[in-house]
Amino acid sequence: MQKKEIRLEVHKRKLGLRARIYYLIIGCILGFAVIVTLYPILNTIAISFNEAYDTIRGGVHLFPRKFTLVNYRTVLQKDSMGTGLVVSVLRTGIGIVTHLFCTALLAFVLSRKEFIFRKQATFYYVLTMYVSGGMVPTFLLFRNLGFINSFWVYIIPGLVSAYDMIVIRTYISALPDSLQESAMMDGAGYFTIFVSVIAPLSKPVFATIALFIGVGQWNSWFDTMLYNRMNPKLTTLQYELMKLLSTVSTMSGSSANVYGNTQTKTMLTTTSVQAAATVLTCLPIVVLYPFLQRYFVAGLTIGGVKE
Amino acid sequence: MNADNDIQQMIAEKIGAICRETHLTGQTQPEAVGMMIASGDYPDIIAGGNSTKQLIEAGALIPLDEYWDDYPNLKNFTPDVQKEFLRQPDGHIYVFPQGELYKKDMTVNAAEAFWIQAKVLEWDNYPEIETLDQLFDLLERYTKENPTLEDGTSVIPYTILCYDWYYFCLENPPQFLDGYPNDGCCIVDPDTHKVIDYNTTPTAERYFRILNEQYNKGMIDSEFMTMSRDEYIQKLSTGRVLAMCDQYWNFSDAEKAMISAGMTGNCYVPLGLTIDPGMSEQYFTSTNALSSVDGIGITTSCKDIDGALQYLNDMLDPDIQTLLQWGVEGVDYLVDDEGMFYRTDEMREKAMDPAYKTSHLCSLQLRCGYFGMNLDGKNAAMPSEQPSEFFETLQPEVQRAFEAYGAKTYPDMLDYTFIDATEAPWYPMWTFANGFSTSTEGGMAWKRVADMKHEYLPQVVIAKDFDSAWAEYLEKYNECNPQAYLDELQQEVYRRIKIVTGVDESGN
Amino acid sequence: MKRKKSGQVLAVRRKVSWKLIKRQRELIILMVPFVIYTFIFNYAPLFGWVMAFQNYSPVKGILGSKWIGLDKFKFLFVGNNEFLKVLRNTICMSVINLALSTFCAIAFALLINEMIHRTPKRIVQTISYLPHFLSWIVVCGIVKEVLSVENGVVNELLVFLHIIKEPVNWFTKPKLFWWITAFANVWKETGWNSIIYLSAITAINPELCEAAEIDGAGRLRRIWHIILPGIKPTIIILLIMSIGGILNAGFEMQYLLSNSLVQDVSRTVDIYVLNYGISQNDFSLGTAAGMFKSVVSIVLIFLANATAKAVGEERLF
Repeated sequence: MQKKEIRLEVHKRKLGLRARIYYLIIGCILGFAVIVTLYPILNTIAISFNEAYDTIRGGVHLFPRKFTLVNYRTVLQKDSMGTGLVVSVLRTGIGIVTHLFCTALLAFVLSRKEFIFRKQATFYYVLTMYVSGGMVPTFLLFRNLGFINSFWVYIIPGLVSAYDMIVIRTYISALPDSLQESAMMDGAGYFTIFVSVIAPLSKPVFATIALFIGVGQWNSWFDTMLYNRMNPKLTTLQYELMKLLSTVSTMSGSSANVYGNTQTKTMLTTTSVQAAATVLTCLPIVVLYPFLQRYFVAGLTIGGVKE
Repeated sequence: MNADNDIQQMIAEKIGAICRETHLTGQTQPEAVGMMIASGDYPDIIAGGNSTKQLIEAGALIPLDEYWDDYPNLKNFTPDVQKEFLRQPDGHIYVFPQGELYKKDMTVNAAEAFWIQAKVLEWDNYPEIETLDQLFDLLERYTKENPTLEDGTSVIPYTILCYDWYYFCLENPPQFLDGYPNDGCCIVDPDTHKVIDYNTTPTAERYFRILNEQYNKGMIDSEFMTMSRDEYIQKLSTGRVLAMCDQYWNFSDAEKAMISAGMTGNCYVPLGLTIDPGMSEQYFTSTNALSSVDGIGITTSCKDIDGALQYLNDMLDPDIQTLLQWGVEGVDYLVDDEGMFYRTDEMREKAMDPAYKTSHLCSLQLRCGYFGMNLDGKNAAMPSEQPSEFFETLQPEVQRAFEAYGAKTYPDMLDYTFIDATEAPWYPMWTFANGFSTSTEGGMAWKRVADMKHEYLPQVVIAKDFDSAWAEYLEKYNECNPQAYLDELQQEVYRRIKIVTGVDESGN
Repeated sequence: MKRKKSGQVLAVRRKVSWKLIKRQRELIILMVPFVIYTFIFNYAPLFGWVMAFQNYSPVKGILGSKWIGLDKFKFLFVGNNEFLKVLRNTICMSVINLALSTFCAIAFALLINEMIHRTPKRIVQTISYLPHFLSWIVVCGIVKEVLSVENGVVNELLVFLHIIKEPVNWFTKPKLFWWITAFANVWKETGWNSIIYLSAITAINPELCEAAEIDGAGRLRRIWHIILPGIKPTIIILLIMSIGGILNAGFEMQYLLSNSLVQDVSRTVDIYVLNYGISQNDFSLGTAAGMFKSVVSIVLIFLANATAKAVGEERLF
């Protein structure tokens, strides 16, 4: 932290005219970016508080035109949302810890430059990003492993991801080799080095990957539908929301299949309910993100070690 | 079933069964069914939609005809004609349709038609409009005098939805304009039983020529070809669109939005147009058999087959049917001295509230049910179709238009046609076309033709030179080998005729 | 940096010997469970690839379906202009998208890193990544609104500046479609994508920056000479991985923004597979296309990796 303060000092002292213009330009660009990205968010929030049928007339921008809480009530009133929330929190929490640990450990092993199978093993993992057996064989495999109607289907298949592994590995590779060398001199084994030397230094990248995993776990519903939809105790919040959306759309289009229409499916989604669901989904991430953000501050890691 | 839903609770108590319903979300139906078949795990009761055939082939369903003698409601649910269509080559029946007409079709909402705002008709004193030319003539005169809405936005005299599969709004009117019902993929000549391709008929050419002329005159929405369905609904909801061709359920949300904004005069009235005056039209048809294999069945995974049958049977009980559709007597509807059901304004409003819908009313879909009339033979099956209820719910402007044309319901505005499956067993052909797959030559041609029409029909409409654009369309059309799918459609017509009449007309 | 690279080369050249294996047994023991795990979850399901050579029917299963050899591949490649077209679309959209989004994400991360005040920095960052969570339906709806003929911001601005005479319906222009999708993607994902670069920047030794500053290096030079080289490994690795995924351009955004006038340029491989495969109950076609995509990916990865190696940059493996 001390380092940080010093840097700020340096900046403040030198803030001349050129620097001011420089920061002004940056401020303008970022300000523009913020406005441009803020709009869809505010728009979604406004729609989520707007009356459903009024919404489809368009023209709702930053503020709701006909304020209502019905959309949120529709989303929140179901009993299944409660269990869904518990399952979602559990899978996100356990998922982050286990996935991060396994992926990081693997990344550590594959980042060791002296490891003789490094190249082959890396390729073995890179390959997994681009090949897939498809849904049917995967489903059959999971069924044989007993993952149907099981909480573990949320955790075990996703313990290691090649993409995350590569990202962590790239970060670890950039750490100085001398760290490992000195630890080995002290007689530490690889696992000890990983836990006590490398891991503490990799917090920023861990935070990044934890965010990726967390968001992935929190938002996923497809696996719930494939494997656990028959067990109401194991369905996730996202799945319940998806289900709600599809019921809303079948409700509004339920008369369709009675007539002789060429198509019986309807694409009707009540935009407002969807917006409310989106807002509720984003909420926990928005709340938690600032806690992760402190790891993204430059100068904490290496500088800290060397002190 | 949800424990927190009143009516579902009441039904559960009455029939002693609980049904948990799972909708497949986000996954395409063939994938979901493919997965089930691959694994052999099925839910107890399943509505397989277009994949029903796969389920039967996989041996996933139990033959209902072996069990139904103990379940009279279920057994008598489908008329015999429909049973013949449902019967598989092995002589068994595996699925029941989810909806079946009881007595009389009470439908109050029209399906496909040309729709025009009530206030436009009122402006011209409710003229008799029979043809497309007359419609555009009226639109032109009206637009000249009323180019904008009250708030100053310009009106759009006519728009065409052609996004994704909703492009039926653009492509299938030629069958109606020629006076045929909605077979959806072709016309079947009722005398010769020959399949006629409506994509290339002289009527089709005239229809597109009219659209082309009107587009170049500025009468048709300049953005129609890039408009998504959401944008279409949004446009309609603003009240700017005076007329279009569509099916009612597709744009009903837009009407609700207009009503909530107080623009009741902008609500639509259907017109059954033909290409020449004086022709008969069949926009609104109803039939006693859908001639398809699609519906609800019990799977081999079901451990309690009798329980499942009992459930389906009990759900057809008159009391339960009423409970499902109307709600609870005294709470959701009232009964007058003659046994007719009616609702107060308050009840009507309550039934629209989404929160009330989920906590009180039952929206269970996984069941069989009747539409048309309630089993008491007096009331309509659904509150929205009760004649007294319905006219009340209409907007005053629409009521006035209906009165001017002597109609009480939307279908009254069109000629009501009942198609008896014993006389025209092929109707509707779309139940066959929906099952086309690229594994057959005809299915492949069907897919190619659809892709090609998607691309070229809007261009025909916006072309500066109609004749060359139409010629190009025909050329591209013929490249797709359309005869292949027409042949398969023809075979299906013969097959359906044979099922019902026993006469093989195919000549093989 | 130099020292590290030479060390790496040495490590690779070392021969596998029992002595080495013994010395590295801890690493190998750590590795073995992962290899088994990945084999089960990622490689075992590949037996499903045999579906590509069958007329797979769920009813008969993989063992009982009819073998048809290379028919599905022939369907895709022999005389099928449509498939070649979607292949072209996919590649072009991916390349444009990849270049644009990588550039924007890096630039955005650099800009955020340059901000001095902590609070606005955090606010900017938090807001910028939020669009990532919106569904494509919402995002595409807004894109269409912005580009609309009537009251679309872009049209109004261009008319106001006299760049165009009257509003243009941008979605009827096949030439612009790829760019529209690319910009839509940039808008949705830049903030999110920049997170990874931001975390990479944290690994750069701040003393280097300070030293440069004391030496009188300007801010832009500091970015150019210290920060960019510092995150170069991350950039290159991510690029190589994305190049492998070039045939996965997705389908949602293209599907939602498309219309009949641009469908010639808007369809991707995934849309094609959905149309002609899965929605027609044809799982084999999808599998064949998937296999084709995998092979292309692997070839591209090798090429990209070899190129990186040749120019002496960080490699994937």
